[in-house]
Amino acid sequence: MVKKVPIGPFHPILEEPEFFELHVDGERVVDIDITIGWSHRGIELLSERKTWDQVPFLVERVCGICSCSHPYAYVKAVEDLLGIEVPLRAQFLRAIVAELERLHSHLLWTGLAGHFIGYNTVFMWTWKYREPVLDVLEATTGNRNHYAMLKVGGVRRDIPQEEIPNVLKMLDELERNNDLLTKAILDDPVIHARTVGVGIFDKEQCRLYGALGPTARAAGYDIDSRRDHPIDAYDKVEFNVILRENGDVFDKAVVRQLENFESIKIIRQCLKAIEDTEPGDIAVEVGEIPPGEGIGVYEAPRGEVLHYIRSNGKNMPMRLKIRAPSFNNILTNEVSVPGNTVADAGLITAAVDPCYSCTERVGVLDTSSGERRVLTEADLIRLSVEKTERIRKELEGTER
Amino acid sequence: MEREEVKKRIAEKFGEKVKVAERSPRRIYVYAENDIWVDLADFVFNELDARFDTGAAVDDREGVEVMFFFPFDREHYYLTIKTFAKKPNPELDSISNIIPGAKWIEREIFEMYEVFFRNHPDLRPVLRADTRPKDFYPAKREVKDEHVPPRRRDDGDERADEVEGKPPAGQNP
Repeated sequence: MVKKVPIGPFHPILEEPEFFELHVDGERVVDIDITIGWSHRGIELLSERKTWDQVPFLVERVCGICSCSHPYAYVKAVEDLLGIEVPLRAQFLRAIVAELERLHSHLLWTGLAGHFIGYNTVFMWTWKYREPVLDVLEATTGNRNHYAMLKVGGVRRDIPQEEIPNVLKMLDELERNNDLLTKAILDDPVIHARTVGVGIFDKEQCRLYGALGPTARAAGYDIDSRRDHPIDAYDKVEFNVILRENGDVFDKAVVRQLENFESIKIIRQCLKAIEDTEPGDIAVEVGEIPPGEGIGVYEAPRGEVLHYIRSNGKNMPMRLKIRAPSFNNILTNEVSVPGNTVADAGLITAAVDPCYSCTERVGVLDTSSGERRVLTEADLIRLSVEKTERIRKELEGTER
Repeated sequence: MEREEVKKRIAEKFGEKVKVAERSPRRIYVYAENDIWVDLADFVFNELDARFDTGAAVDDREGVEVMFFFPFDREHYYLTIKTFAKKPNPELDSISNIIPGAKWIEREIFEMYEVFFRNHPDLRPVLRADTRPKDFYPAKREVKDEHVPPRRRDDGDERADEVEGKPPAGQNP
């Protein structure tokens, strides 16, 4: 007998409202219906009433975590229309902030994933390691999030030369801690049992669904906009694109952990570059924006962000289209969730690192009897934690 | 696939039905007529092996310009396919049956601009609240032109008008 299990629109561990209706046969999910739009704010329409210089402040509020990626794609779209290059120092400054953002975003996800499978130690340690990254962002840009760093033609403020040693020190510590964390994840048999082979989304499906970011690279879909559509400093630094093959939750976690090392590598190169350039020239003067259109892309922590702008020569955009990576990545759940258990469904939907809300409410509806019961956040997490405990005991039994 | 080769193969296959414009070395725009729109997307995605990214729409007085972005990642450029759905009843064939990733963006364009995608598997609105009227398409130019933002607050405090720098109605110099 098939039952429907609605998850959401408010859901544990996820940062924004979303609604999943799971069609389950026993514990097994057979189908899923996804409804988005619970926090639709009309940012695209709002941007048509802001000046070109105000829009970066608006689009960095598309996502609290990706608050450098969206302005980055926007300013690149305008610069694409204008056909201008920004000063070298500004290019490296942009990359530093963007990569610091990737570090704290990936660490945030790893912590949440640990919490959801019942590994609260992973959650607490990971967020402890994340904190110095936010401190550095505050010291260099003025804010932990919403940095207001980028503008059309360059950046709004410089990073003082005397701040560079502090950033380097933080990177050294983070590299050690991230190494520790990565090894712990790679070696833990319970994490293996909970995540390997769970929520598989393969390479061909990534192509068909337009999935990107760690979700796609975990399946071997070799796309990274930083390398494929290089902007600013990204063709002046060396880094590797991390790929795995299986496309399951485990590989998505591993890709994020290993990408942290690449981000550290990029930031070090950029810091070296700004040490070698004279402070001062961080933006070019931008006059009127002529009629035309432009496309800007940047690889956000969750996948590619695309901004398309259309100008009619006035002081505001005539149209701004935003492609947020979660828009395509969340759609992948209609393939990756069916076939798995309810206890794994939350983990799989979280594995694409979507933007959701933290207010929790889950209803279980028996379609044959009409019986409805509401599960709390604790219930859903309990289901997941019980499964982890069961696996841990089974593994301990095997070892003995 | 290199851009010159892509342009040549599109021109060979679709001839007069397409027009190609290049804004910069990394941006190609292809304007297609409605009847070959899906075939062109299929050709670019499956034959030329481009990646599907997303879509967008821009409202005009005469119709809605609908576009889909197809990057060629190894060659570092974006190809954008555009077509024009004429008003008063803008309609296009859906590409979702060829590219499942286009399902949601077509639903979004429908609910914002009232562009009806024929043969779409499930053209329910994707973003708006259930309580919003069914025939309300917020991004349509006609709707935006008619919508006058309220200037006064509900509490009867008319100083809000002064704060905005506009004198009350009837007192314009």
